[in-house]
Amino acid sequence: MCELCEKYGEGNPWYLNPMNYARPLYRKIEKDKEKEPMILEELRGPINIIKPLIDLMDNPEAFKKAKEQFSKHQERMVGQVVSLEDAKKMVEIAQPITKIDCICRRTFRATLEDGVQRPRSCLGLGIGMFRWEEWPERYKGGVEFLSTEEAKKHLEHWHKRGMVITIMAFGTPYIGGICLCDYPDCIAIRMRLDYNVIPFLLKGHQVAKIDYEECIGCGSCAQRCQFGAVKMEVTTNKSNIDLTRCFGCGVCVYTCPQDAIRLIDRKRFSTLKEEW
Amino acid sequence: MLPVVEIDKKKCSTPFECKKCLQICPQAVFAVAPTKVERFKETDPENYEVQAVFRNKCVVCMDCVKTCPTAALRVIVGGYD
Repeated sequence: MCELCEKYGEGNPWYLNPMNYARPLYRKIEKDKEKEPMILEELRGPINIIKPLIDLMDNPEAFKKAKEQFSKHQERMVGQVVSLEDAKKMVEIAQPITKIDCICRRTFRATLEDGVQRPRSCLGLGIGMFRWEEWPERYKGGVEFLSTEEAKKHLEHWHKRGMVITIMAFGTPYIGGICLCDYPDCIAIRMRLDYNVIPFLLKGHQVAKIDYEECIGCGSCAQRCQFGAVKMEVTTNKSNIDLTRCFGCGVCVYTCPQDAIRLIDRKRFSTLKEEW
Repeated sequence: MLPVVEIDKKKCSTPFECKKCLQICPQAVFAVAPTKVERFKETDPENYEVQAVFRNKCVVCMDCVKTCPTAALRVIVGGYD
């Protein structure tokens, strides 16, 4: 059972519920709250989320406690891996759609994605995008509004190059963007894989399964997996996907020359359906 | 004990433009962020700051120390550098 789907999706994937794109356009500004540094802290980027946690690593007790605190933050922020198909459905629901630069890449590798080094790769969704000029530091170099068709092409382009598609909700369940992520600069993947902080990146609704009849053992899928779920099995000379480690991003599906990998609904595996 | 990376902020004055340590680190330990973000205003380059975030991943290869053009970095393990 997917908790977010029960709560915000009426049993269906929560990110396909149009309600979750409808963050109120106007909100009452509470005068004192607006001055709270928390908003600005978040705009500084992901550095503020992770640094205090890692600084505690010398003290295992404090580290464990801080991690537990983190896991309760699901109401504020939640991320999940989605397949290309689901992401395409999402850009049909969401309006407006904009291309923005990736704050993780900017923070951890100092690339601006200003069109010279790398084009803007993330998609910002929703009416908040009309107000991007308010925060020029976050939207450095501006934003680019896309049509639904353009957004689909954009997703396809980066996904086929090996980026994992993830969605981010800021103020759960309101979906703020579709990210195209890459370890190690993606903070969400990194938090989950290296520090086992779960809510920043939940596993997707599917898992990737190999058809051994079709697999020729070229190993191209194993090169692409960012979650360490795929390896070339020497014994059988075929790829092996560990379904318990698979996040269902589908990067391997699109790199397979034999079309031997399929995304299958997680629900169909009784031991995986509770694994997020 | 996690390695400590000391960054001399006086010597490291334009980290975002330089970005040498951020891009050479095999473990992607570093991060660069504005020290403050204001509404309707871009942050000045001197208000950026490099921090060693993922210190537990640091393998003390010293690539960052070697590449730093202003010798602003020190990596300290167990009190020694």
